[in-house]
Amino acid sequence: MSARDYANGIPVRLGAIAIVVGLASALVLQSDVDLGRLVTIGFVNRSLEMAAPIALAAIGGLYAEKSGVFNIGLEGFMIIGALTTAAAMYAVGGSSPAQRHVWIAILVAVVVGLVLTMLFAVLLIRYEADQIVAGLAVWFVALGFAPFVAILVWDDRNYSGLASVDTLTIPYLADLPGVGPILFDQSPLVLLTAVFAVVAWVVLYRTRYGYWIQAAGENPEALDTAGVDVIRVRYAAVLFSGAMAALGGAVLLAHLGTFNGGGDTLTDGRGWIAIVAYLFGNYNPIGAAAAALLFAALDQLNVQFQTAGIGVPGKLVNLLPYAAVIVVLTAWGRTKMPASVGDPYESEE
Amino acid sequence: MSGVETGRLRAVLDRTADRLLAATVLERIAIAIASTALALLLGLAIVAAAGYDPAQFATHLVVGAFGSESAVSRTLRFSTLFILTGVAVAVAFRAGVFNIGVQGQFIVGGIACVMSIVWLAPHLPDGPIGGLALLTIGTIAAVAAGGLYAAFPGVLKAYGGANEIITTIMLNFIAIGIVGWLVQGWFGAEDATSTRTERLPENVSLPRLVFDEPNFSIVGLVVTLATVAVVAVIIARTRFGYDMVTSGYQRSAATYSGVDARRTVVATMTFSGMVAGLAGAVFAVMIQGHYTDPGGVGNYGFDAIAVSLLAANNPVGVVPAGLLFGGLESAGSHVQFNSDVPVQLIDGIIGLVVLFVAAPELFRMAAKRAGIGGEDR
Repeated sequence: MSARDYANGIPVRLGAIAIVVGLASALVLQSDVDLGRLVTIGFVNRSLEMAAPIALAAIGGLYAEKSGVFNIGLEGFMIIGALTTAAAMYAVGGSSPAQRHVWIAILVAVVVGLVLTMLFAVLLIRYEADQIVAGLAVWFVALGFAPFVAILVWDDRNYSGLASVDTLTIPYLADLPGVGPILFDQSPLVLLTAVFAVVAWVVLYRTRYGYWIQAAGENPEALDTAGVDVIRVRYAAVLFSGAMAALGGAVLLAHLGTFNGGGDTLTDGRGWIAIVAYLFGNYNPIGAAAAALLFAALDQLNVQFQTAGIGVPGKLVNLLPYAAVIVVLTAWGRTKMPASVGDPYESEE
Repeated sequence: MSGVETGRLRAVLDRTADRLLAATVLERIAIAIASTALALLLGLAIVAAAGYDPAQFATHLVVGAFGSESAVSRTLRFSTLFILTGVAVAVAFRAGVFNIGVQGQFIVGGIACVMSIVWLAPHLPDGPIGGLALLTIGTIAAVAAGGLYAAFPGVLKAYGGANEIITTIMLNFIAIGIVGWLVQGWFGAEDATSTRTERLPENVSLPRLVFDEPNFSIVGLVVTLATVAVVAVIIARTRFGYDMVTSGYQRSAATYSGVDARRTVVATMTFSGMVAGLAGAVFAVMIQGHYTDPGGVGNYGFDAIAVSLLAANNPVGVVPAGLLFGGLESAGSHVQFNSDVPVQLIDGIIGLVVLFVAAPELFRMAAKRAGIGGEDR
């Protein structure tokens, strides 16, 4: 982005911030909200639980895009992950699955996600499919097949007899005021996500393989000249993105403990929000996770408004994350995309 | 740049575009057919793997789409909507703008049509003349609402750099949420037992010609085909259409010949949304006769993406593609009542069609390996 473009964008950014601040303060003033009742530890924990799936998918998506492949099918792979977890949990644990069944199911979902992503990656890389169209297709396939499989398995699109993952409680530390219930009485999947975000950042920006991934997206010819197989790096990044999105879907299910195959399915647009999260985080895994937390917190506001007895229509509050995505994209839309995203790469050999 | 030079550049561009299009038309048709066949075959394999009888399922598909007069009119009803929404998608994709928000624009158009008619009906005379006036007003309201709802992400893309794929998807969710909230609240009919608006007055409906079906009128299909013709002419024969297509294929060339890229993006999105809004009006008047929670109106706007891609984003090609999808959807309704196979399978098959259409290389390589064609490309 040139300096002039940036300067042109400043009014848009300021306007966006003004809109958000204005809307928020109008809401607070109008409803006389006690902020202490809105931002509770339960709210923070629910936000973290809901942020984890988005953050995982976002980290995967940014790796793929950094390597030069736009995986716009994240939403589809999340749906597949959630469904596979539900079906696997039901298969091994029946109608009253135990904790180990939850973990087995998550593992199965990641493996299934990997296998399906392999087919997707072959279509994208070997057969040079249009990345945007193929990614949309993955979404359509998942939107159709997830309820189909759910009906085959449970005779219904929805199934609620599953288990959710237990929190990991560390005695004594969990009783610390403030941080205790958040850090030491937390879903292990949230903690795992935090670890993934940090490791993903280190690998991408501090290791040789991370530089290969970035080079595959920025300047594949140079990477090829240096003797690294661009195609192989891209396959690895796309596989990783699909597996992470499937894991995101699995984590979503493991936190909710129920499968919903109606409408936009359980995932309900979180895969799309994941794409925005990594754009917002400027391809930085930790930034993407923080953005995911922001969107999840907006999503959870609805529950907070209800428990605090504030009469805002739930249907409208539910739209806050989507509206936020539009504001964020408009204000920070021109992020620096890798130069070769979307171009199939053919070695000169 | 002088006018003569501009004219020459245009002629060169014209010839290039013509050759590119003509050379691949046959190939594209072949790829569309191969994609559909492969997706259907996979669908049958999945049916068999799930323990159902694939031959019976295939029979249900054919009978459900064309097996009786009611099946044919049902197919045409779905096709009408798929063709209109498909054209809306094609207009944008042709210009290199990804309007994934046709579903939202379709919903906004539908509710605008219903509410403007319901509000104005008491002020206009009963009978056919009042009905025709109301239909006209409702259609204009739908087209305007759809166009405006699409112009918004167009402006955000052109002047804010916001990726239109994501913003239009978000606007779909927002349209479903807000219209759903309105239908539950302010717009809700007082006497209704379910969530819906007031019904359209009796003089506002399309005449039942040819098919004696409450949910399909040949007038809807005629309006649709006329729209296809108008859109095709606009794209092929007007300056606006020319600017749109060149900015889609050759952005820099378009800019050099004096096309304002930003304005073209906004205009393209608006045009696309207007067609989507019209589809919403046809849906509301021909099928519903009122408006319900938009969460359950059907995914016409999403399937339209598949329709348009199958037609290589050619407005005329959308007609056969829309017929195919209308047939699949119609067969789906038949399958739902006459078979145990979950109907959602059809949506999955549609997704597979798109997936294969996205990868023409797959078929080129397969054809080469099988020794048919492909040597010159």
